[in-house]
Amino acid sequence: MADSDVLTTLKILIIGESGVGKSSLLLRFTDDTFDPEQSATIGVDFKVKTITVEGNCTKLAIWDTAGQERFRTLTPSYYRGAQGVILVYDVTNRNTFAKLDMWLNELDTYSTKTDIVKMLVGNKIDKEKREVSREEGLNFARRHTMLFIEASAKTKDGVQCAFEELVQKIIQTPGLWEMDQRSQGGFSLSNQTTEREGWCAYC
Amino acid sequence: MEDVLNEICSSEDLKTFELRYNEEMCQGEVSSTTQFEYACFLVRSRYPADIQRGVVLLEELYKRPDETGKRDYVFYLAIGNARLKEYQLALNYVKGLLRIEPANRQVLELEKLIKKRMEKDAMKGAAIAGGAILGLGALVGLGVALAKKH
Repeated sequence: MADSDVLTTLKILIIGESGVGKSSLLLRFTDDTFDPEQSATIGVDFKVKTITVEGNCTKLAIWDTAGQERFRTLTPSYYRGAQGVILVYDVTNRNTFAKLDMWLNELDTYSTKTDIVKMLVGNKIDKEKREVSREEGLNFARRHTMLFIEASAKTKDGVQCAFEELVQKIIQTPGLWEMDQRSQGGFSLSNQTTEREGWCAYC
Repeated sequence: MEDVLNEICSSEDLKTFELRYNEEMCQGEVSSTTQFEYACFLVRSRYPADIQRGVVLLEELYKRPDETGKRDYVFYLAIGNARLKEYQLALNYVKGLLRIEPANRQVLELEKLIKKRMEKDAMKGAAIAGGAILGLGALVGLGVALAKKH
């Protein structure tokens, strides 16, 4: 696809505890593959994918961060300029859900865009021993004005939808990305942003 | 388009971690964590001298006994060396990682990226050399033409 067809390039982050399936979600989305033996990410991983949402062709630069504690101080340096973030937890591991507050805090501290669009993803719904119900996830997302979806990188469930909904929401928030299209800053388009609450996806 | 080989960290971030490193240095011992963090920012600097320093710190970390993070050090050594255009060295580090984890996709992609970078640089080199030959040819031609005129 020619670059001229691309409406904009968006920077998307994937964050969350170690082992929740961040890289697996990314790989399912970009390459449509799944590796049950996926090894722990070192630092950050990076992938580009072009998708068309509602007729808008958008290039996504996706930064998949390591969840391991030893990279905790390194990853925030990648938050800068991100327009969207996918915050992942594992529905079969309550601890990864409990840590969400910490991740949101970190995001508030380091992200440079105040109206960054957030998508909460409860991953691994293919597994049997669920520890976090769908309602709990949904309520958490509502409380923090995030989009929400449950997914399985293994079975493909919800993966495509998670990225599409996120991109759609970013495109509907022109102040987030149109500024980057112009060479000069200094003006705000934030008044064009509509409906600030009830951002929830039920797909 | 950014990727892991040309993405640059902010100088403020680098400074923060440099400060932490120097503080520990003054106290007499730098922890592996602090040194690793500082090195990771150094290899993402825009200045080759910083990257070089990052590589040295990582090499030193790698030599420390009983390090659990060897895999991470080697990965960043590959990135650092690639950014310094030491492609062969970078590929050697990648090879080392693949010996232990042959299917590691992140490492395989880094390898691809390094090879692509290497080819691009080789082409650039060839273009410059080609340009020089063309220029030389023109000069000789001009000389011949001038000589004929006289």
